Amino acid sequence: MSELTRDIEPTPDIALIARWQRGDQRAATELVGRHAQALARFAVTQGIRDGVDELVQDTFVRAFHSLESFRADSSLRTWLFTILKRLVLDRQRSEQRQRSTVELDEEHAVQDFNALDGMVADETLLRVRQAVARLSPLQREVFTLRVTEGMPYTEIARVVGSTEGACRVHYHNAMRAVKEYLSDD
Amino acid sequence: MTECPDDVLRDLLPEYALEALGTAASARVAAHLAECAACRAELALLGQVHGTLTRGVPRVDVAAVVAALPRPMPRPVAIPAARRWVMRPVWQYAAAAGLLLAAGSGVAWQRAAGGHAARLADSTLVQSAGRVQAVQATQAARAESGISFGGGLSDLSVDELQSLLGQMDTLRALPSSDPASMTPVIAMNEGGKTL
Repeated sequence: MSELTRDIEPTPDIALIARWQRGDQRAATELVGRHAQALARFAVTQGIRDGVDELVQDTFVRAFHSLESFRADSSLRTWLFTILKRLVLDRQRSEQRQRSTVELDEEHAVQDFNALDGMVADETLLRVRQAVARLSPLQREVFTLRVTEGMPYTEIARVVGSTEGACRVHYHNAMRAVKEYLSDD
Repeated sequence: MTECPDDVLRDLLPEYALEALGTAASARVAAHLAECAACRAELALLGQVHGTLTRGVPRVDVAAVVAALPRPMPRPVAIPAARRWVMRPVWQYAAAAGLLLAAGSGVAWQRAAGGHAARLADSTLVQSAGRVQAVQATQAARAESGISFGGGLSDLSVDELQSLLGQMDTLRALPSSDPASMTPVIAMNEGGKTL
């Protein structure tokens, strides 16, 4: 992105929402296109392997069903992440219940996050992924939202249900832990 | 691995890596990076982590998501301004009814009491009728028994009727027939004592 275009503000989400409410379907396409991939990234970093598309779609459907209640006191993206986070938790709980009734081998008992390791060919990428996988769930959420989305601490705090100060501490602790893990080689 | 002591600048590194900073902040970080090896190393690590975490993320089918979205709900239609009078509060109707009742009672009281105002009204009406009679000699017989609305109106011309209505309007504008104030007037001398 060039210096010139970086500071140009796109149409605000709230304006697109208003256009969609007046029946403009293109506004919905723009909103989904703007946020869908970020939601998919977040789902994957939270250990979702299958049905990422479906999860992202459910997030948007739920959000659009209750857009009337969206007060814009936070950004639409933050609101979408909050919805997605709840859906991810629901799915993980559901999977845990299924695991409790089906006997699984030792390989499946490790953290969900490690299940993506097979997709990573590069040894360095594997090490980075392992370093992130070792973080606590809350640290991992804060760290990935900060690193992959550049989300401000105030918005991260809304998504994970914490405070801005606590999120800052979680991020720096996570960064330190990742550095230490990678420097142990 | 050492860490940069400038926490504010370090906090901007993720946005800088994503090219999400404004021009001024971006220039500030770039100037800092030129001098700080720890931040350069952290920026490189951020790039590695970002590349790793975003690798293998499936592409979302935007059209499929949009197709699954609900249709926007139509907003409630505003009530036209011309019909809003129907929605006035009940107290306004009650006040209007009370006003009409009071006016009606006043007129009834005037007629029943036969006081000065009523007599004045009668004389005014008689005068009015007299003028009409002057125009129409055929109504002379009715003048003896005062004004009469029975059957005679149809014989009047438009001008005569308007004249009569004008006289009635002056009747409505008569001074109030309410009793005079009963507040006693107390005369006092210079010492403040009543006389």
